[in-house]
Amino acid sequence: MSPGIQRRNRMNVVLQMVTALITAVLLGQLWLFTVTLDAMENPSASMSVATAATICSLVACAAVWVLIRFFLTAEQTETGERS
Amino acid sequence: MGELKMPSRWKQDFPIPNEEDSYVTRREFTKFLGLTSVAFLIGTCAAAGRKLVKQLFPSRTDVVDIADIHEIPVGGHKLFRYPTENDPCILLRLAEDKFVAFDQRCTHLSCPVLFDSGKKQLVCPCHEGFFSAEDGRPLAGPPKRPLPQLSVITRNARVLVARKEERLA
Repeated sequence: MSPGIQRRNRMNVVLQMVTALITAVLLGQLWLFTVTLDAMENPSASMSVATAATICSLVACAAVWVLIRFFLTAEQTETGERS
Repeated sequence: MGELKMPSRWKQDFPIPNEEDSYVTRREFTKFLGLTSVAFLIGTCAAAGRKLVKQLFPSRTDVVDIADIHEIPVGGHKLFRYPTENDPCILLRLAEDKFVAFDQRCTHLSCPVLFDSGKKQLVCPCHEGFFSAEDGRPLAGPPKRPLPQLSVITRNARVLVARKEERLA
């Protein structure tokens, strides 16, 4: 197997891991969304819970966008195509 | 001799197979995940904002007359809605001169709680949650938060309720 193909295979594995990581972060965001909905519906829930969930969701969204930038850059490097 | 079958004219002009037409690249899929993340963030912000608005600007409610004092026997209860039609509440008579009122929605998943006068408990039948009828604190089951309590006062043989923070003069 030529070094070029080996490098491409490794890059494919990395890109799949990045996609899996993005999906995991999205699942976390979904959970944060349900926590905030519960806080909204339930008068006894504290406002700090909703605030913390919103901040965490913001951080998660930023992380997802950073991972996507990394993904697109890495794939562009691998294939030479523009995104 | 069989005639050579030529593709139709439009297929010659647009030679894109159907499989490729519906093919989603992983690059497009990743971008879609990014949009999903933004959608979750917007939803979370909207829910938190609504919670904030509810806390900052609570619906203005006055003291409300719920029942006649003789209408509810000791160990009995009455359902009512307060402060809006969408907020079910329950009024309990625990003793001759002791009335308490709570939001009827379970703090676990908002199922309506029922009064067990024998054990002096409020029971959520959905997931077996139990609350004290004295102060609404959770006793057993999934709920971790107490039931929101309302202020109750008896005046001129009538039972009145208001928000907990409002003073009943």
